[in-house]
Amino acid sequence: MPIKTQFSGRFYPQRFFSLGDALVLLVIATTIFGVVSTGHQWSAAFHPATEIDLSISALPKYTLLSAARGFIAYFFSLSFTLVVGYVGAKSRLGERLILPALDILQTIPVLGFLPGLVLGLISLFPNTNAGLELAAILMMVTSQVWNMTFSFYSSIKSIPEEINEAATMMGLGWFQRLLRLELPFSAVNLAWNSLLSMAGGWFFLTVCEAFTLGSREFRLPGIGSYMAVAIAEGNRSAMAMGVVAMTLLIVTMDFVIWRPILAWAQRYRVEDVPGAVPTEPLVQIVIRDSRIVRFLKLQLRDRQARKRQRILEREKAEGIGFLNKPLEVFASPQARQFYRSKWLGRVAVFFALTALGVVLGWGGVRLFELLSTLSASEWVILGRNAFWTWVRVMLAVVLSTVWAVPVGIWIGTSSRRIRVAQPVIQVLASFPAPMLFPIALFAILRLGFNFDVASVAMMLLGVQWYVLFNSLAGALRIPAELDFALRLMEVPRWERWRTLYLPCVFPSLVTGWVMATGAAWNTSIVAEYMVFKGKLYQTGGLGATLTVAASNADFRMLAASLTIMVAVVIAFNRFVWAPIYREAQTRYRMDA
Amino acid sequence: MKKSLIELKNVSKSFRLESGTDLRVLHSVSLGVGEDEIVAILGPSGSGKSTCLRIMSGLIPASDGEVLCRQQPLDGVNPDVAMVFQSFALFPWETVYTNIALPLASLSLSLSDTKARVKKVIDLVGLEGYEEAYPRELSGGMKQRVGVARALVMERPVLFLDEPFSSLDILTADTLRAEMVKIFLDKKTATRSMVLVTHNIEETVSMARRILIMGTNPGHIRREIINDLPYPRDESTTGFRRMVQQVYASITEALMPDAPAPAEASTALARATPKEPPIETLPNVQMVEMIGLLEAVGDRGGRADIFELAHETGKEFGRTLYLVKAAELLDLVETPKQTVILTDLGGHFVAGDINIRKRMLHELFGLLRIVQMASNLLRKSENLRIPIEELAERVGEWLPTENPHQIVEALVSWGRFAEYFGYNDDAKELYLDVGQETT
Repeated sequence: MPIKTQFSGRFYPQRFFSLGDALVLLVIATTIFGVVSTGHQWSAAFHPATEIDLSISALPKYTLLSAARGFIAYFFSLSFTLVVGYVGAKSRLGERLILPALDILQTIPVLGFLPGLVLGLISLFPNTNAGLELAAILMMVTSQVWNMTFSFYSSIKSIPEEINEAATMMGLGWFQRLLRLELPFSAVNLAWNSLLSMAGGWFFLTVCEAFTLGSREFRLPGIGSYMAVAIAEGNRSAMAMGVVAMTLLIVTMDFVIWRPILAWAQRYRVEDVPGAVPTEPLVQIVIRDSRIVRFLKLQLRDRQARKRQRILEREKAEGIGFLNKPLEVFASPQARQFYRSKWLGRVAVFFALTALGVVLGWGGVRLFELLSTLSASEWVILGRNAFWTWVRVMLAVVLSTVWAVPVGIWIGTSSRRIRVAQPVIQVLASFPAPMLFPIALFAILRLGFNFDVASVAMMLLGVQWYVLFNSLAGALRIPAELDFALRLMEVPRWERWRTLYLPCVFPSLVTGWVMATGAAWNTSIVAEYMVFKGKLYQTGGLGATLTVAASNADFRMLAASLTIMVAVVIAFNRFVWAPIYREAQTRYRMDA
Repeated sequence: MKKSLIELKNVSKSFRLESGTDLRVLHSVSLGVGEDEIVAILGPSGSGKSTCLRIMSGLIPASDGEVLCRQQPLDGVNPDVAMVFQSFALFPWETVYTNIALPLASLSLSLSDTKARVKKVIDLVGLEGYEEAYPRELSGGMKQRVGVARALVMERPVLFLDEPFSSLDILTADTLRAEMVKIFLDKKTATRSMVLVTHNIEETVSMARRILIMGTNPGHIRREIINDLPYPRDESTTGFRRMVQQVYASITEALMPDAPAPAEASTALARATPKEPPIETLPNVQMVEMIGLLEAVGDRGGRADIFELAHETGKEFGRTLYLVKAAELLDLVETPKQTVILTDLGGHFVAGDINIRKRMLHELFGLLRIVQMASNLLRKSENLRIPIEELAERVGEWLPTENPHQIVEALVSWGRFAEYFGYNDDAKELYLDVGQETT
């Protein structure tokens, strides 16, 4: 029944101290502890390689420190997203610069950023740990931010024309427009992408917290380092504890943060259908039950009202505030005319572009100089490595397709199965696969296979979720009527798959493939080179080359292998995936 | 006309198509909106009436000509205008109250002033009790009431209505129409004038004091009709009926002049070879629909009034005209004034079964000059196939004032039905249907 039930505050049970209160207090205490230890850690004297304590008592603190890093990184990513995505959507010039830049940046694996960030930031903060911490956080940012920015950009771009016109006619200033239209419109996408990004941030945690650069070793206290040390030493019980702690962290975050946020974002869904009221997540009920939260809410509401009144009075005295004016540089046709006509604006844009061109040109020349020092035989080796990594990437994608597409369709075609499976998959997919690599490696070596096979398997562990998620999403779009029709015609099961399910899933499967190949290339840096139980495992591949080059601080090799990887991924997207994607979009559209 | 609020002087507008060519949608439009009047802009789809409205509101700039607001050139969004949209354009995550209060966000009003203004318009449009509802909980009519209230709360002198009732059912639309007229007459709001864009003729006659009729290709104003019927207007009076007839007649004339406009769109080609018949522009309609219309004429004894046809088949008038135009191109009907008469061919066609009809269509379609030109092009091509883009380019040369893609679309759809052309959407190629499969 599509009836909204919203009780006001006085209907809540009036217990003196509820479970909700206990949980809220616990969360507050944990947060305070996390903030204090993070602050302590940042201001500590420069100490590049912390001794990692593998005892179980050290784990809670490590987990909290890593979680804090993840959140700070997410905060940076969100800020970047809001600014860059907004500029990209609002300015024609920005769009032309930002889209290709995002395209390239998202193909660079985290190790590509590592040496520059670490060396640069350490020299900025030579006496405290702040530089190293910041470097680790920014590395996490590089695996969180791009999809968020892209989602915000395309959300703003997809606002229906008439709603945009209505906002313009109402004279909403740029800030009002952002607050009342653009952010709400993007909320659902941004929430889902935040979840994905957080998972992406955890993925390379072991790399971001513990790494070698030339002759120096770096280790930050955190669960990533804990796992890295446990893996290197082959300490099985520590590895198991680490996996448990990480799982707890992810499950807690899913429960306390993502589910409430996703449910809240449902308010901002755009489909204008009556009735569909989302179910309330458990945590929201618990929190509503808490007297502390209610007290804080009331306080906040009063303060906001007072503040609003103050702002209004001030604005009345000073005329309309800056936030209520249209943002001249970005707004639509008139503004474009404005800065086309004003020579000042033109000169500013000209200089900015020239500066950008000089920087890019200089970077290009330096890169070329660096690359030209490589001998022909080195290029041949790089090319061969790239080929083998490509083979592994393709194998991983094919293998994930083989198992994940049928499973995704199987789950997606039954609402009962979706309800059961979705939260489980969400947690599984958020778990950073590299932490499971030693287990996979151990198992596969035991079965008598070599490291080559293991490295494909590890890639598979990292990328299968993209295929599964997208097949599931595609299966949701299978029209029930067509399915009924085929069943009535008594079309055999396999024929139904061939004529209906697979074509329906295909368009979103292609999206899954694009994401999976990109991720597989990035995963190669941890899947082709590994220290396990004090023993080095390595196979010929671009990921291994990259890892070795980064840890040796060999900038020639690093630049060369990065260039090849970026070029291959982008070329593959352009010349293979893009045509397939277009074909999928036209041929298998479901609106015929 | 009383004091002019908004004025367009020789305004033209072109849009760049994907293919890089400019498509002119408005050509030299001049019109004024004075105080105390409802002006209706009436025209079939594609006549640029919505574009006209958006230029006057300052949402899009004119390519050419002057836009004046109170005798001053308009710069940016028109400060005198509030707008009601066809799709309502409500913010789904805001309640009725906050949706209506939204335009006041940038005005720095105190909380009590805001409340008072919102309450006033909520009372006016009859939304009391719905303040806390979300748009998705409302019916179409209630949604559009929110749209109207949101426009009224801005207290602007001119209210723009962009096909405001076309996504509502007939009864709801009637009620809202009457309410809009009442708002205009009561003068309890800041609204002095309204501009209504629509393709519904009864709607214009029941609301507007001046009716501007637009023609297509490119959009331009064909005629202005003054409608002095006293408010409130009753659809059953003879005055009302007569006015509707007059508007119908003007549109027919605008879209289907009795004498085919001689060399008005004089192409270089037509002038160079004066003896050749002009190249036809195919109206973009479906053959099946046209056959349905022919049958309707047949049912009425081979002779029907075009308004009645539109009314009884429940089709939009402009659309009906295009269907008649298509039938006329194929010599299946004649149209003296506003009457549609089946020709002998037409009678034969209606009487025939599907095979006879298809064979006739095949023959008649082949007689069209544009079809012959396209066929020649195909025969000269290597494998009797040409890419659709290439054909569009050529059509653009033959008929420089038309939108070539629409004509090509019609060529494909008519040609397929008449089993004259085949089209492969994968290769985007047109080919001659030589009829192996059809015999």
